[in-house]
Amino acid sequence: MITIISKIELEGSDDLKYTDIGHTQDVNIINQINEDYDSSLGKFIGENKTKLELGIVSISAFFANYPFVNEARTQVENSENLGLVEVTDINQL
Amino acid sequence: MAVPTKGNTTNANPTPGASSKTQAHTHNTGSDSFIVAQFTMSNTRTYTGCTYGGQAMTQLYQINRSGLGQRMVFFYLANPPTGNNNVVVTFNGSQWNPISIHIRSFTNCGGIGASTRVGGQSTPNNGSLTVEEDSLIMITSCSINAITSQQIPTGTNQSYTQHNTNRQVATGAISSNAGHSAGSITLQATSTFGSISLDRTEIKGLGGSSLDDNSDFFLMM
Repeated sequence: MITIISKIELEGSDDLKYTDIGHTQDVNIINQINEDYDSSLGKFIGENKTKLELGIVSISAFFANYPFVNEARTQVENSENLGLVEVTDINQL
Repeated sequence: MAVPTKGNTTNANPTPGASSKTQAHTHNTGSDSFIVAQFTMSNTRTYTGCTYGGQAMTQLYQINRSGLGQRMVFFYLANPPTGNNNVVVTFNGSQWNPISIHIRSFTNCGGIGASTRVGGQSTPNNGSLTVEEDSLIMITSCSINAITSQQIPTGTNQSYTQHNTNRQVATGAISSNAGHSAGSITLQATSTFGSISLDRTEIKGLGGSSLDDNSDFFLMM
């Protein structure tokens, strides 16, 4: 199974924007990306979920400190036609 | 009759963080093609629609699992555009909980057949679905606890993807490639303990008798 790496940025003032930027089958790269996500954006959303839904907190508050975050939680069977580069080193991102 | 040919799948478990989520999926080339999309997320929002390649998909069901705090939906589209296109599912507001996404393509497919949904029951959740000859069955489940099997038919474990939507979701389980004989097919879903739901949908093969099935013919004049 191939895992797609997505770049998550702020869109407008209150929304997330996902852009697929590469693919990998390296479990270490996948785990590192997702651990970074969980400890940053994932943590912020988890702590502010209700306030985000009610519009009391804006996700822009998070992106004031982070330009973007990556996540690797999409699986596909083949990467043909996706037009994405294979990521073999975390430093490629 | 012919069993539907399974095509590409896409599984994802993101947090939309918006009132829609766009997910790329590559649809296979072939005749009688068909695409389905299953989603599960917190019931704080409802699904308002879904498109693939800009074409509206038909909603088979949308069900609020209030006991689990989740909303599950199934969309499909016959003869969608081939190649890499986007599935876009929309909500009635920004969704800040994770969503489970499963998209599967088929060719040689006769569309949707029988479909039944059963809410949380103590594990194991046993059910059945009456299908036509050469159909496949897709099942999906939701539970508070880890899901341990998706069986089609009962006793035959099928692979599935487990997503975390603040609940546990099993998605992507489907019959073996050979399909089923016509009749009632038993199904089972299990979790480590507690209750688990079991939703099942028939994916039909191509109907009609074939001239290459060694049947005898005669012409009356």
